[in-house]
Amino acid sequence: MAVKHTKKLFIKALNKKFGKDFDLASQKTEYKRLGPEQSARKREFMEYAKKLEGKRGMTGYNPYVHAGGIPLGQRQLVPYKLSSTEYVVEGDDLHFVNNPAMQQMWDDIRRTIIVGLDMAHEVLQKRLGKEVTPETINNYLEILNHAMPGAAVVQEHMVETHPGLVDDCNVRVFTGDDALADEIDAQYLIDINKMFPAEQAEVLKAAIGKTSWQAVHIPTIVVRSCDGGTTSRWSAMQLSMTFIDAYNMCAGEAAVADLAYAAKHAAVLHMSDMLPARRARGPNNPGGLSFGYMADMVQTSRVKPQDPVYVSLNVVAAGSMLYDQIWLGSYMSGGVGFTQYATAAYTNDVLDDFSYYGVDYAVDKFGGFAKAPKTIDVAKELATEVTLYGIEQYEAFPTLLEDHFGGSQRAAVLAAASGITSAIASGHSQIGLAGWYLSMLLHKEAWGRLGFFGYDLQDQCGPTNVFSYQSDEGNPLELRGANYPNYAMNVGHQGEYAGITSAAHAGRMDAFAVSPLIKVTFANPGLVFDWANIRDCFGKGGAREFRAAGERSLVMPSV
Amino acid sequence: MAYTPQFYPGSTSVGINRRKHMSGNIEKLRDIPEADVVAIMGHRAPGADYASTHPPLKEMGEPDCPVRQLVAPTAGAAAGDRVRYSQWTDSMYFAPSIPYFRSYWGAINCKGCDPGTLSGRQIIEARERDIEKYTKQQYDSEMTDVALCSMRGCTVHGHSLRLEENGMQFDMLARTEMGKDGNVYAVKDQVGIPLDKKINLGKPMTEAEAKKRTTIFRFDGVPMGGKIGARKFDEAIEMTHHMWEYRSKWGYRPE
Repeated sequence: MAVKHTKKLFIKALNKKFGKDFDLASQKTEYKRLGPEQSARKREFMEYAKKLEGKRGMTGYNPYVHAGGIPLGQRQLVPYKLSSTEYVVEGDDLHFVNNPAMQQMWDDIRRTIIVGLDMAHEVLQKRLGKEVTPETINNYLEILNHAMPGAAVVQEHMVETHPGLVDDCNVRVFTGDDALADEIDAQYLIDINKMFPAEQAEVLKAAIGKTSWQAVHIPTIVVRSCDGGTTSRWSAMQLSMTFIDAYNMCAGEAAVADLAYAAKHAAVLHMSDMLPARRARGPNNPGGLSFGYMADMVQTSRVKPQDPVYVSLNVVAAGSMLYDQIWLGSYMSGGVGFTQYATAAYTNDVLDDFSYYGVDYAVDKFGGFAKAPKTIDVAKELATEVTLYGIEQYEAFPTLLEDHFGGSQRAAVLAAASGITSAIASGHSQIGLAGWYLSMLLHKEAWGRLGFFGYDLQDQCGPTNVFSYQSDEGNPLELRGANYPNYAMNVGHQGEYAGITSAAHAGRMDAFAVSPLIKVTFANPGLVFDWANIRDCFGKGGAREFRAAGERSLVMPSV
Repeated sequence: MAYTPQFYPGSTSVGINRRKHMSGNIEKLRDIPEADVVAIMGHRAPGADYASTHPPLKEMGEPDCPVRQLVAPTAGAAAGDRVRYSQWTDSMYFAPSIPYFRSYWGAINCKGCDPGTLSGRQIIEARERDIEKYTKQQYDSEMTDVALCSMRGCTVHGHSLRLEENGMQFDMLARTEMGKDGNVYAVKDQVGIPLDKKINLGKPMTEAEAKKRTTIFRFDGVPMGGKIGARKFDEAIEMTHHMWEYRSKWGYRPE
């Protein structure tokens, strides 16, 4: 029988959490009820709150008001190991408020916009009679990297932004045309040949063709003061002013309106769509971000393409953090509970273990990645095997069950492993999605419990929308997103769906999932967050080793 | 021919127990006094009047309605009781019932109730005197083991945690405790408010008894899918595959 993987990757994490000599298989334990003092981070919080007492003039953080005087820590408060890394941090360190890397990941998305150059060049040449050459493009890019952070180019007596506050802002260009790329000053170029493995580079260049694009990343501090909807406006203003300067144009003639439209609006790719009024968000906010775009933003596929599980799990981590912790957990809800759900998918090597088990099983059975038939029977076999394997691990290792103490955590992890396995095996995201929903049903039937109320709707009804192509019910998974009708309310799903999307393409060794433009844009070495190593970067953030952009300390008195 | 509900597939003890819970054909194991159940629920003091949200139906002059003529109101609805709840947390270490089967039991057997199913808790809401009756039925029956199951209105954390050394399910608020006499005592109500007196809930099931009565599939009890490398599917899996496949194909409808 095809069973290969027996690594039990989570044991190392459990040993770090519960202690090396701890009996990980025992179903009983002594609960010492040591309270919040057992956690270094909670102690830090309490000490800091004490310092603030006199300053604030009112009460604040006090864990002893919890549950009528019974504080957190009646069970062991255990730390978290970021999966596949050596980072072990406290749970508190994974709340996005406490983790600057997580904040920067989201900032890097919402401050980004991709703007085409070609139409503007055509207007310059045909309507305004200007010459466009590699030299003029390089000159334009130099001016643009002065202007985009918030500096003046053609006006007098203007205010400008402090370069130290906006140093993360940059604009680079990319193209599928090697000859043009060779002419662009290297500092302004995202070099596809350099950033991607050769096979992926060829595919990306073929998809982009002779078009040229600007990867615009406006200052983090701007989107933190405003929001993602600002990005296109900020970018558009600085682009048009730069064109006027670089090509010595009149700032008032009607033809400039043609250029402004061509340069600012005609070829623009937002990172996410605007949401309906009831959710009241503009473009470049997380609710409109498709799973396919999320899969393309994560860059693990270009640095470790030979390991599609690893690729998919980094997408899961990015998606879980953004969709669960920030979108559902904060924009749509609030508070602290969502972090607990989300971290299950990227800590303690649990999802890693289940996914590698499944993919090894599939590779043995079908002879490689993306080799299995794209059929419902493949999803049935693989999702059943992976779910039963995962359930057995939770049962055999009570500390593992205790680690994922909520059913929603377990449901997300079991179903994600099933979906990732089915997607990598078949190279098809819809087969992965079918595996996800079967896992949910099997899980519920085995243990007579699943997640919280919402799982009744999303997961027990979910199989009906997997293969539906009626536009209000179905869609290829790549094109679904956080605002897809049935997906808009449940934590523990959206990041995993993004991971399943990625898994199908990682299994096929594709260069990108949906958009070559997004894939190349997020290869920009000038981004602050490390888009190739999501979990590692979250660990850095938790360990207080990560420096985010958009800080204001430069213009404030020191603490 | 009269229809006989099958309720649930499978010939294992888990399948049989699931059928018992769903059908309501459950064994009574203990008799906890009504006043004690009311005290643990914590909605009214034992012996106090029921609070009401409307006058008795008979005094309300209801409209001439065929549905009202067909369906007799529950005692609580007839009296105008407010809707209250009881919520259970069942350990994954062989507690007799599990959330969906408490819900199925309620939905099938308890008139006028609204069950809600989560992973770590299961709630049933109904008119107050009705929910008191349903709660006592659950407390007294084989659906409940007093060490592995407990009523928790809030801070329900514990279903998936290792057991205490004495075999009790972990409860952050310590609403129940094991007495020196081997009986389990309730010392706080559902939401953790201390009771005026300890309530004796009786002795817990032995591990063997709990395994015999449980409705959860587990690899160290009755596995649902055999073991790694030696898969053997229970009928529950076959049923699930069938449902999933039909739901998936129904959704396709390429017309």
